[in-house]
Parts: sequence; structure tokens; C-alpha cells
Amino acid sequence: MDKLDFSTILASSIHDIKNSLGLILTNLEDLLGNPANHIADPRQASLLQHEARRANANLNQLLIFYKLGQDQLCVNITANPLDEFLEEIIAENRSVCQALGLRIDHQCDTELMGFFDIELVRGVLEGAIGNARRYARTQIQLNAELMEGFLVIRVEDDGVGFPPSMLAQTDYRPQTLSSIVGTPGHTQLGLYFAAHLAQLHRQGDKCGSIRLVNGHLLPGGCFELWLP
Amino acid sequence: MADLFAAKHFLIVDDFADMRTALKRILNSLGAIHIDQARNGSEAIAKMQARHYDVVLCDYNLGTGKDGQQILEEARVRQLLGVDSIFIMITAENTREMVMGAVEYAPDSYLSKPFTKEFLQTRLTKLFERKAHLYKVNQALLAKDPAGAIRELDTLIADHPSNLSELLKLKSEICIESNRLDEAQSVLEQVLAIREMPWARLGLGKIQFMRKQFTQAAETFSQIIEQERSFVAAYDWLAKTQMAQRQYAEAEETLKLAARLSPRNIRRQGLIGDIALTNNHPETAELAYEQAVGLAKYSVFNHPALFAGLAKSKAAAGKREEALKVAEQIPKVFPDHPEAALYQATATVFVKAKAGDQAGAQAALAQAEQELARLNEGARLSQHALELAKAYAELGQEDKAAALLRQVIANNHDDEDILTQIIHLCQESKLNYDAESAIREVQGDVVRTNNEGVRLIKQGEFDAAIKLLSHAAEEMPGNKTINLNAAKALLMYMERRGITNDLIAQVHHYINRVQTLAPDDWRLGDVRHRLRKLTQT
Repeated sequence: MDKLDFSTILASSIHDIKNSLGLILTNLEDLLGNPANHIADPRQASLLQHEARRANANLNQLLIFYKLGQDQLCVNITANPLDEFLEEIIAENRSVCQALGLRIDHQCDTELMGFFDIELVRGVLEGAIGNARRYARTQIQLNAELMEGFLVIRVEDDGVGFPPSMLAQTDYRPQTLSSIVGTPGHTQLGLYFAAHLAQLHRQGDKCGSIRLVNGHLLPGGCFELWLP
Repeated sequence: MADLFAAKHFLIVDDFADMRTALKRILNSLGAIHIDQARNGSEAIAKMQARHYDVVLCDYNLGTGKDGQQILEEARVRQLLGVDSIFIMITAENTREMVMGAVEYAPDSYLSKPFTKEFLQTRLTKLFERKAHLYKVNQALLAKDPAGAIRELDTLIADHPSNLSELLKLKSEICIESNRLDEAQSVLEQVLAIREMPWARLGLGKIQFMRKQFTQAAETFSQIIEQERSFVAAYDWLAKTQMAQRQYAEAEETLKLAARLSPRNIRRQGLIGDIALTNNHPETAELAYEQAVGLAKYSVFNHPALFAGLAKSKAAAGKREEALKVAEQIPKVFPDHPEAALYQATATVFVKAKAGDQAGAQAALAQAEQELARLNEGARLSQHALELAKAYAELGQEDKAAALLRQVIANNHDDEDILTQIIHLCQESKLNYDAESAIREVQGDVVRTNNEGVRLIKQGEFDAAIKLLSHAAEEMPGNKTINLNAAKALLMYMERRGITNDLIAQVHHYINRVQTLAPDDWRLGDVRHRLRKLTQT
């Protein structure tokens, strides 16, 4: 090897790790879905599933951060029917949520169309759902609507909600984030990721953003992605 | 739901046995029964040759050999996938490079690993619905009937379905391909009125290009690039426009930028090689051809021309030994390729000429002449003739080069790409041939012949019209427009006076010629349709 090519190493490592995660997840899904299996504590298996999915979401983030750093990331805006899009995300998350004893559903106008980069937004929502899974008591809801000329996609839960320090926050750059004492295990990097990808969505002079609120439709935390 | 999956045939392509098993289990649990597996590209292609698959789930990264994209390309080029087949590319990485890079051969869907059973179920169900929804459109496209496809699309569009944007995009593409530029423009403007979309803007640029409004087209493509720096297709079209504007150095730079964003496109690397070589930038050409040859190793697009290009650029860069070795490799790499000997010969002309071996170069040239004569009316006829013309130019044989170029011009009077290559060649080589005037002259001749033919038909002088156009078709057997017009004159005659076997055979002859030269020519559909109508009644 004459020159260390990090992007090749990264790509092939991610390929391997994702293969492993894929096998872990498929087998866990089988295990949990098979009534003939008698696991002493099914919750342990569910937690494994939840964490494996989080590891995967983090890998995706890592790759996108790398591309951002290399100035290789571009935004591919397409017209997407929200109902179908949210349905896919729910399908992807239903089994892990069920195993954790959580209900997950979505709500939006069947005619609603959104213009955004489907893979980037999927990554942002995966991160938000990963968090919601941690804090929800019984339920997670995804919803989308048009507001003030923006498309707002929300991930809500019925947990205790975000702490006041996080609600007050408007700046999600890493240097700002590191000065805030976050809840242990709460990925502050995830917020930076979400805010940054939201910003990459522009239309005219409008630009995307994220907001954290409490008690929207469900009593707990509500992550909002505003897209122009 | 389970019935939907039970009736379908699935093929799983993955080099990792555990992944294949896991995927097979998922499909089984969704109700699928017929599931085949392949470990690599060759196995996948062999299986697809042996039977029709409704769904191919193919991992992108398959170790050595073909990658997933190359399997898809080969399957499409060799028509192993039906219009209703679904090809899904499974990737570990985020998919955008592939989405942006794969302009011509895109899969029906990308899946990012890992995914759950329910996700796959939702996605596949949606894709089955889409295919069913577009069934009539795809059938029309398969029958090369763009007008029919547009009619079917308009019916679907009238319902304002959730995939409206996709339908409008498809309609604009079919309109552009079948030269319905006004209709395409109105669709694209309708899309852009709602929101700026790079693909729609690109479509408008293509229309400007096709209307030969090169300045506006270049502006449109540059504007897209300014907004979306990684939209590779816009670079390709900008380069094409710059070539048409005779800005060869600029075109080379534009393509180099595109290749930096999307380095795995063989065709683009080959094009950079061609242009750089003619621009006298042998180092750039060598690098591009090296890439192309490396990428093409397992690809259906591998071709002796890439090796010939590499040999020539090495010779031009002064690496004679290496150049000779590459040229000698051609028959070994392509033992059964009909064009291998021609490209070996033309590459050898360059290598020997650069080495000062005049006798060797002449011998190779004689060989190339023989090969061209042997290949005769092949699908790449004009490319072959251009290749030989370049060899003549290299050895300073101006008369022979000019005669051959004139023939290529006559066969391609309305093919912007080939005409641009000829002008580029004449400007950059030592060749003293006024290609621009020759092109204008030939174009004038063809248009006059055509107009005269149309006039005769309108006046009912069918015999004279047929005589004129079939004579022209024999003069320019490689000219698609002339052959098509000759066929049309015969059809019009038979539509009025009734059919005869001889004339039907003659029409088939013209259609076959065009089919060999350009199987995707949109004009074929109309002629075939009229022929079918005549023979059915």
C-alpha cells in the first residue's frame, strides 16, 4: 500500500461492520419472533436489538460526517410522498419497538409531498427515533405537516421530555455542545448531525433547522425537523 | 400478501453465505417460495440467462470480479431483465455516489444494510405496485412505441398519483428521447414552476443542446453545477456542449471534474482519454485509459478500443515499450472479439510511428485497412472508420484520411457526436482537411435529396421518389436518416397502392440497417408500427 487511503479503509470497514450488524439483527429478530424460543429475559434480547440499531445509525452518521469533512456530501432533493416515507421508517422500527414494549405509529395527510434528500432525512429520523426509544414509556409517534411554508416532521414520545437546558438551546455546533452537561449516553453529536443536515436543505433564502419541544401531541419530548 | 411473494421468482446475489441465508429466511417468512442464490457476478449472470427473475436482490460489494453495478449493466445490456423485473441494489454505504454516478443504468431501488423483514416487505410491496402501475407504459417502451408510452403516462398523470413527480420525470425523458422537444419543455417547466429541481433543469439544458442553442445550454448546465456541485450528469452535458462549441480544452477539464466526483464510470474515463489524446495531453489520456481498462476488467463495456487508447497515449507520452506491450495484449484479452485485430493494428500504427519505425507503421496500417474491410457494416462502423482515419492522419496520408472522413460524414450528417469528433480530429492533428465545409456540403445534399423525395411523394410520383431515396440509401448505407426515409417512402407507396412482398422485404432491409447501427433510434418505432399496420390488414 503506497498511500493510506482512509476513504477506502472506512468504506470497507463499514461494509464489514454492517454485514455483522445485519446478521445480528436478522438473527435477533428471528429469535424474538419465534414463540418456540425460551429466552430467560426477553428484554435483554430487545436491548441488544435496540443497541445494534443505534450502532448502525451511528455508523451512518460517521460516514456522513466523513463526507462532510471531505466536502464530498451533496444533497439530492427529490419529491417524496410523506405517507410512504414514514410508513417505511415505521416498518424498519416496528419490531425493535414492539420488543421494547413500545407502540410506534405515524400520522400525516396521505396527499402530503415533501422535497428533501430521502437518505439524509432518514438518517436524521433514525437518530431521533433511537433516542425516543430510550425515553418513551409506551408510545412513539411520527407525524408530518406543512407549517409557515415549511415541512415539519416530528418524532414524539410519551416520556419525561427534554431537560430545560436542551429546550433552551438554539446552537448545536460541537464546541457549544461540549460545554453543556448532557444526559449520560445522550448523543449530543446526534443533534449537531441533525442540525447540520437540516441546514443543507435550502430553498430560495429559506433553510432547514431542528427544534426540540416538549408536550406536542404526546406528553414527552418532541424532535422537530423543519424543511423548506 | 403472501400470495404476492409466493408467485414470484427471486435471485439473491451475495458473496457471503450467511448473508444469503439470512436474506433467504427473510424472504421465506414473507411467503416467497422460489429463491435462487448466486455467490458472484458470473453465477448471477448465468442464473439470469437460464431463467427470468421477478426480483434480483444484489449486494453491491462482491469482492473480486463484477460488482453489483456491473451485474446490473450486463443484465440490462444483454436484456436478461424483463420490463417488469425489479433489480434492487443492496449497499453498506450510503448510496448517493451510486445514485449520482449511475446515470444510465440505475437499479429500481437501493437498500441500505441492515434492514428488517418488515422494511423489505414494505419496500417490495411498493415496488410491485409501481411496476404494475407502469406496466402499460413499460410495454409500450419495450415495443419502442414512445407515442404509446406517453399516452399511457398521460392517463396515469391525470389521476394525480403520489408518484406524480416520478411520472413527469419519465415523461420528460421519453419526450426528449423521441425528439418531442416542445412537449418535454412544457412538462419540465410545469415541474420547475413548483420547485427548482436539478433533474428538470438538466432536461431543459438537454433540449437547448438538441436545438443547437449551445450558448444557452452551456449556461444552464453551469448554473446547475454552481448550485449542485456533485450533480455529475450536468458536467457530462456541459462537456458535450463545450465539444459542440469547439472548446476542447474546457471540455477536457469539465470531464476531469466529473471523473473526480464519480471515478468509476468507464465510458466517461474513455471519453476523457479520447479528448485528452486529441488535445495532445498524453499524460491525462494515459491516466484516464489506465482507469478505464482497470474498471472494465469484469464489465460488459470492456472493449479493445480502451486498450488501443492506452497504447496510443503511452506512445504519445514516450513510453514506447509499455505502449507496444499494451497493444500486444489486445488479442490475448479479447480472443474472440471481432474488433480486436483492427484496434491492435491502429494502436500499432501509432506506437511504431512514434518510434520512428515507418515500415512497421505502414505494415500495421495495411493490416488495419484489411480489418476495416472485413468488418464491413458492423454496428460500430463509423467508430472503426474514424479509428483508421486517425491512423492515416498520424502517418500524414491526407488523401486517404479525407476520403474516409467524407464517407463517415455522409453516413452521419446529423450525428452531432461523430461530427464533433471529426472536427476535433481535423483541428488538432496535422490533417489539412476542411471538415466544417465538407459537413455543410453533405448536409445540404442530404436535405436536398430528402426534400425532393418528399415533394415527389406529395405529388404522387412514387416511383421517382422511391428511386431517388433508395439510390441515396445505397450511396450512404450507414446513414440512418436516409435509410429511414427510403423505408418511409416505400411505406407511403404501399399505404396507397397495396403491398408487395418485394417492397416489404426492402423495407425490412432498411430497418435492419438502422437497427444494427442504432438499436435505440426513436424513429424506428414509428416505421415498425406502420409496417405492422400494413402487413396486418
